[in-house]
Amino acid sequence: MRVTIISIPVLDQEKALKFYTEKLGFIKKKDKPLGGGNRWLTLVSKEAQDGPELLLEPAPNHFEPSKVYQDALMEAGIPYTQFDVDNVDAEYERLTELGVKFSVKPSTMGTTKYAVFNDTCGNNIELVQEL
Amino acid sequence: MTFYEKELNRINDLIYSNQGQIETVIAVRCYIDNNCDLALNLDFLSHIHFVSKYHLLRLFKRYYGLTPGQYLKGKRIEKSKERLKNGMSVTETCFAVGFESVGSFSTLFKTRTGKSPTQYQKEQLSRSKLNFES
Repeated sequence: MRVTIISIPVLDQEKALKFYTEKLGFIKKKDKPLGGGNRWLTLVSKEAQDGPELLLEPAPNHFEPSKVYQDALMEAGIPYTQFDVDNVDAEYERLTELGVKFSVKPSTMGTTKYAVFNDTCGNNIELVQEL
Repeated sequence: MTFYEKELNRINDLIYSNQGQIETVIAVRCYIDNNCDLALNLDFLSHIHFVSKYHLLRLFKRYYGLTPGQYLKGKRIEKSKERLKNGMSVTETCFAVGFESVGSFSTLFKTRTGKSPTQYQKEQLSRSKLNFES
């Protein structure tokens, strides 16, 4: 068995695609129609294009409990997904300039530096740098 | 303050209150990162950071979730991938990133990445050739 997909529930796949590629810098890998305007849409990291794929899935629009769970995580400020970066401060500056909103500014806890932003598709996402 | 921030504060107070320990392990990790191609061992790492060998082992594992030895191996494999991608031979790569035997390097590489260094290099080089052609 191998780990190849990480799912992120999004409210709007097209909007998510734009945000994740244009602001975050991911690259589109697969885009297949699934009927009803839904797509099997995956992205990879620019730095590790043979690494795991991010699946932007429209679950909150089709499965009520997914929507409830996503809303509850957002409300509690909990990032369900995190991405590693080399420098949290630099990414914070870069993304803030692009208009991305952070709920937690770069902070340090033990051997980790982190920050949390809103992906505009219903999720808090955490950036993490190991110190 | 959100539920998440409150939880972080709680965990911070519970787990990360010893700033001295944190500074020590961060310095050790940083040293490993910058010197992973050299012959490093626990005796040496503990000696230069003024802590006992077993204390350092426990501390590092506690804060990073793996031992300094495991961390060092991972770092060397990461560096070896870069060198193989750039076309360096398997033997040269092995010694350049700090391993002492080609056999143990190849075995570890295969265990960690699922491919032998030679296979990995072939795939990477053919991929970059494809990118170049397209």
